[in-house]
Amino acid sequence: MNFLRAAVRRVVGLFVGDWLQSAIVLVIIAAGWFGVSRFGAPALVVLVALLAGQLVWFARADGRPGSSPR
Amino acid sequence: MGQQLFIFGAAFLGSTVESIEALTIVLAVGLTRGWREPLLGTGAALVLLAALVLAFGQLIVTTIPDSVLKLVVGTLLLLFGLRWLHVAVLRSAGVLAMHDEEHAYSHAVSQLGEATSRRDWVGFVLALKGVFLEGLEVVFIVIAVGGTGHGFPAAIVGGILAAIVVAATGLVVRRPLARVPENTLKYGVGVILTSLGTFWAAEGMGASWPLDFVSIIGLVVVYFAASRVAIALIRRPALA
Repeated sequence: MNFLRAAVRRVVGLFVGDWLQSAIVLVIIAAGWFGVSRFGAPALVVLVALLAGQLVWFARADGRPGSSPR
Repeated sequence: MGQQLFIFGAAFLGSTVESIEALTIVLAVGLTRGWREPLLGTGAALVLLAALVLAFGQLIVTTIPDSVLKLVVGTLLLLFGLRWLHVAVLRSAGVLAMHDEEHAYSHAVSQLGEATSRRDWVGFVLALKGVFLEGLEVVFIVIAVGGTGHGFPAAIVGGILAAIVVAATGLVVRRPLARVPENTLKYGVGVILTSLGTFWAAEGMGASWPLDFVSIIGLVVVYFAASRVAIALIRRPALA
């Protein structure tokens, strides 16, 4: 049972460290899907910029003194 | 050809990182409690992992439509890559301590006693659990990278080759591979997997990238630049 629990925890942990960050990435993907269907390739630039931006944002949040990185 | 090489490289590098961590566990158990059961546990874990790759790999490639597969696996790959990249950024900036195989090895050894019976189930289970859990990430990388890009053989060869190279090196040196720049590898693989995930997720949305597969190089540049900006913004004196 412990083994199964550890395996499930490991599988979830592959994709989720911080639930908020994962949720934001999914929202960006959903918005990107909408943007791509509406505006085509130019929406890709915004999609990539948002994904790169959230990387910097969450790294900054975890890098603040006193924060506890996940 | 370029795409297959890229898939092979991503699978090989990603699998190398995880294989090194699995090797540390097997070495700690084997050198402390004897080799027979840890090697059996490792073999059992490898069989389980191979079954997972074959079962899930075939299932998703043959039953899921291409666009859905790209969107779903691309998104998962993006989340997976971003997680590695996030940790790599925090380590490079000195916010998190670098992963240290010597330390992981000493910690594992300190928790183990010597085998007291002829059949050492503890050694078997520890090796099985360690290799299986570390190997789950290898399985995901191989399935995601190989299945989505129609490069299963290249991804499987990359994953297997990485495990063989790491195991052979471990056999020769009989110590944890602490000198392999594992953190740098993880950083590089994080950037590559994040780029591949973005590329495939967008293709799954119906987008066509300019220059097709070559645009992944552009994505690599963007994510690497973003990670350097993040590191510069939060840099602290290095942790031990």
